[in-house]
Amino acid sequence: MSVRTTEGAGAGAETSPQPASPAPRPSFGARMLGPQRRNLWFWVFVGPFAVGLGLFTYVPLAWSVYLSFFDAHNTVTPTDFVGLDNYTSMLGDDAFLGSLGTFLLFTVFIVPATFALSLGLALMVNRLRFAQAFFRSVFFLPTACSYVVASLIWKLSIFNGVRFGLANTVLGWFGGDQTAWLSTTHPPWYWLVIVTVRLWLQAGFYMILFLAGLQRISPQLYEAAAVDGARPGWQVFRHLTFPQLRATSVAVVLLLVINAFQAFDEFYNLLSDARGYPPYARPPLVYLYYTALGREQNLGLGSAGAVILALIIAVATVVQARWFGLGRKED
Amino acid sequence: MTGTDHGIGRRRLLAVSGGIALTGVLAACGSNTGRGGGGSGPAISQWYHQYGEAGAEQAVKRYAAAYQKAAVTVQWRPGDYDRQTAAALLTDSGPDVFEVNGPLLDQIRGGQVTDLTAEVEPVKDDFNQAVLAPKIWQDKIWGIPQTIDMQLLYYRKSLLKDAGVEPPQSLDELVDAAKKLTTKNVKGLFLGNDGGVGVLGGTPLFAAGLSLIGDDGKAGFDDPAAARALGKIHQLYADRSLLLGAPTDWSDPSAFIQGLTAMQWSGLWALPQVKKALGDDFGVLPFPKDGSGGKPSVPVGAYGAAVSARSKRMAEAKAYAKWLWVDRTDYQQDFALSYGFHIPARISLAKKAEQLRTGPAADAVRFATEYGYAEPLLWTTADRTAYQDALSRIIKDGAHPETELKSVIRQVNAELQRVKKK
Amino acid sequence: MHDAHDALTRAGRALRIVLLIALALLFLIPFYLLVRNGLATEQDITAPDWTFFPHDLQWSNLTEVFRDPNLPMGRALLNSTLIAVATTVGTVLLASLAGYGLARIPYRHSGIVFYAILGTLMVPAAVTFVPSFVLVSSLGWISTLRGLVIPTLFSAFACFIFRQYFLGFPKELEDAARVDGLGYWRTYWRIVVPNARPVFAAVGTIVFIGAWNAFLWPLVIGQDQESWTVQVALSTFTTAQNLNLHELFVAAAVSIAPLVLVFLLLQRYIVAGVERTGIDD
Repeated sequence: MSVRTTEGAGAGAETSPQPASPAPRPSFGARMLGPQRRNLWFWVFVGPFAVGLGLFTYVPLAWSVYLSFFDAHNTVTPTDFVGLDNYTSMLGDDAFLGSLGTFLLFTVFIVPATFALSLGLALMVNRLRFAQAFFRSVFFLPTACSYVVASLIWKLSIFNGVRFGLANTVLGWFGGDQTAWLSTTHPPWYWLVIVTVRLWLQAGFYMILFLAGLQRISPQLYEAAAVDGARPGWQVFRHLTFPQLRATSVAVVLLLVINAFQAFDEFYNLLSDARGYPPYARPPLVYLYYTALGREQNLGLGSAGAVILALIIAVATVVQARWFGLGRKED
Repeated sequence: MTGTDHGIGRRRLLAVSGGIALTGVLAACGSNTGRGGGGSGPAISQWYHQYGEAGAEQAVKRYAAAYQKAAVTVQWRPGDYDRQTAAALLTDSGPDVFEVNGPLLDQIRGGQVTDLTAEVEPVKDDFNQAVLAPKIWQDKIWGIPQTIDMQLLYYRKSLLKDAGVEPPQSLDELVDAAKKLTTKNVKGLFLGNDGGVGVLGGTPLFAAGLSLIGDDGKAGFDDPAAARALGKIHQLYADRSLLLGAPTDWSDPSAFIQGLTAMQWSGLWALPQVKKALGDDFGVLPFPKDGSGGKPSVPVGAYGAAVSARSKRMAEAKAYAKWLWVDRTDYQQDFALSYGFHIPARISLAKKAEQLRTGPAADAVRFATEYGYAEPLLWTTADRTAYQDALSRIIKDGAHPETELKSVIRQVNAELQRVKKK
Repeated sequence: MHDAHDALTRAGRALRIVLLIALALLFLIPFYLLVRNGLATEQDITAPDWTFFPHDLQWSNLTEVFRDPNLPMGRALLNSTLIAVATTVGTVLLASLAGYGLARIPYRHSGIVFYAILGTLMVPAAVTFVPSFVLVSSLGWISTLRGLVIPTLFSAFACFIFRQYFLGFPKELEDAARVDGLGYWRTYWRIVVPNARPVFAAVGTIVFIGAWNAFLWPLVIGQDQESWTVQVALSTFTTAQNLNLHELFVAAAVSIAPLVLVFLLLQRYIVAGVERTGIDD
């Protein structure tokens, strides 16, 4: 019913490219509608999405910025304006700065590791002559799991610190001691747990992207390379395959970095307990979560930290986009 | 076509197309799952966190159903209860009556909970004063203590005997005992998977004769004894005597029952389960004293029943809270003792309780009375976070206790200044 | 010389296959553990010696999960399904329309609109979490499917992917439609959508997975037990004071079973879709 109404109006609009403009308000109406009512149609398509995004993202975002200038303990309608106090105390907070370091360390490790693993898997699976679908499924299947489930398996069954954990059982076969993987800070075994969860969950998805990229490379290029005497293996990969995958690689790196920025679930599900969160392996989102949303409910301080974080992410993303030369096409 | 037609057409079109997506989804989603339920009178909602003990949920629903003057809906909430209540209290869809691990100072200062002084006043002296004290701010009572929780040290008698170890009476003895009890498959002591960072809190400080916040209104552990006591917890960790990374945490006696550890710090609530699994093969101890000025310590505390300041039926909610947690002593006793194991918050009820008169339970009650300490109201979440972070670095990283504590003390004193304002 | 090279290649291939098999086994371990622990008794799981597979498979664990009064697993599965389907349909509809508008309808300010949408990708969810919650609750949407679904429908990521895809969509098709007198709206539904099924499938899949696995939002908005999703129901176990490992694992297995089945059945289609999302155009 409603759709038909719209279509009728749409068809009407299209059949009269230049709407007849009666005397009273000619230019304004025409300008608003644009040629062929394009402006109107633009908003018909984009409007619902834009309104929703505005309501459920921009309104809360603006609210957060507002809160960051107030002493807002346990309230979202604060009255005690404190100016930039929340920002200065957040920037002077060792725990927050430490969390930024954690975040950097995690990103520097997880992005190349996932990239290498998924590319490696794609290269190996791509050249299989049999059981290709089987291997592809096996590596892609973890994408179906949630961080909740994966963290649960990692924490309670693989890397628990007691004798019936899988990792400790395997260590035991070789005469090793039980290791408390998540509780030991020297050496920081917890990174092994955190990183492997994410690798397991993500690698398959990016492998699919790389596989798609690989299949787009023309076989003639390889034939030409063979004629030129390039040896299959590293040389071909270095000088032919990898450059051809540039577009895919850029997309994968961007996605990996955005995902790393948003890392929360596995940290929270692996390391938090009823009493809080340890001071190590605490990325900023977890720290802010406890500051603003946990028992502390310091919404002003938490919001200030969140704004700082969002700014850092924005700058990093823009720099990265420039680096890869994205957006030039559109400008 | 006229200008007016365009106008109408445009407006209609926008309204219609904007609505297509939303109305479709709205219709598909159905409506509110609904609250309320049977019963008569105005509707009140009451929240509890999820207790692990079987029967507790049915019990609180039974109490609520027995209330005549309002229809009370009980919500039994698993997950991170503190965060859920904190978020809900910011809105109008929160509970009317709710239990809270507090109320916290900033909840009181922020005007999120209601003054319950008038409700509690008549029987004020009958409440255990240690757990009532943190519910009081500026001479008003903001929460009614429900039952007393306490923590204590469980030890396996047979394992201690085999190793030739006496139940430890001082922190040094605890360190030695844990070391001697540790074998390839069994650890000496379980203080939680984080090595005690979360659960210990101020306990070692009180055992060293100190406090979290002193009588002078400043951090109460600005003393070399604090660093000394915490250094010994690090010793436990460095000796590899501590069980870490068990599937269950300190609050669950499974690790102790499964024989993964010879001693475990846990709650009184675990006692029935331990007794059922181990019979007489266990004993309980307070956290042992440290140094000449020290004395044993056990943390006590009580979830408080509070009334939300946003409640639309404030008077009814207060009346219900009073009815359940002040008047109905039979329900209070049932709640404390029939599911899991707690000490009633009312002195008169605790005295009457048969279950608390013999064996380890009687020991526990004695510890609570003689050595019990409750975290003061002024010990805020920010303080606790700073202290726990330092504790983690001291225990696990072997950081220098004095340096770590110094920065905590600075932070705690600043926080105390903040809450004194206004 | 030639033979040596061949032998080397063959050895390389064998090595590659061994490596692949080893990696595949590693990737399957978590699934193995889910099944092993889920069908074992508590004693089997905590036994000091590792048993590769429990001797007596405890199928009763499965019924135990569905009968546990504290864990409305059946209801949770239904809720998760409803939420995931509604979220997927809504997100794909809204984002594809917006993506098409941004890609194809010339509008002076479309660049600003696009960057305003793209910019939200950089805002971590935790930043806006509390105000979002307050907003939703002031609409009276707590514990409703509306509250669980609608605020999550506006995915900048999905919109971005659709836009990129439509930018690369052959313009000739649309031009032909316009010559036939079709407006934007009918061109979109009659020409563009039927020819863009792979990207719809791909985005739909990604959104569906995300909606099924979402945790934080359903936890806070779904306050009544009747509105719990499987992820929330699952988390009740991990926070319970007495943890039943076998029940936890069998519940976890149940929670991922629908998605795993979907993956296995529709794999070809999903993979083809993901490959053609055009994010690497």
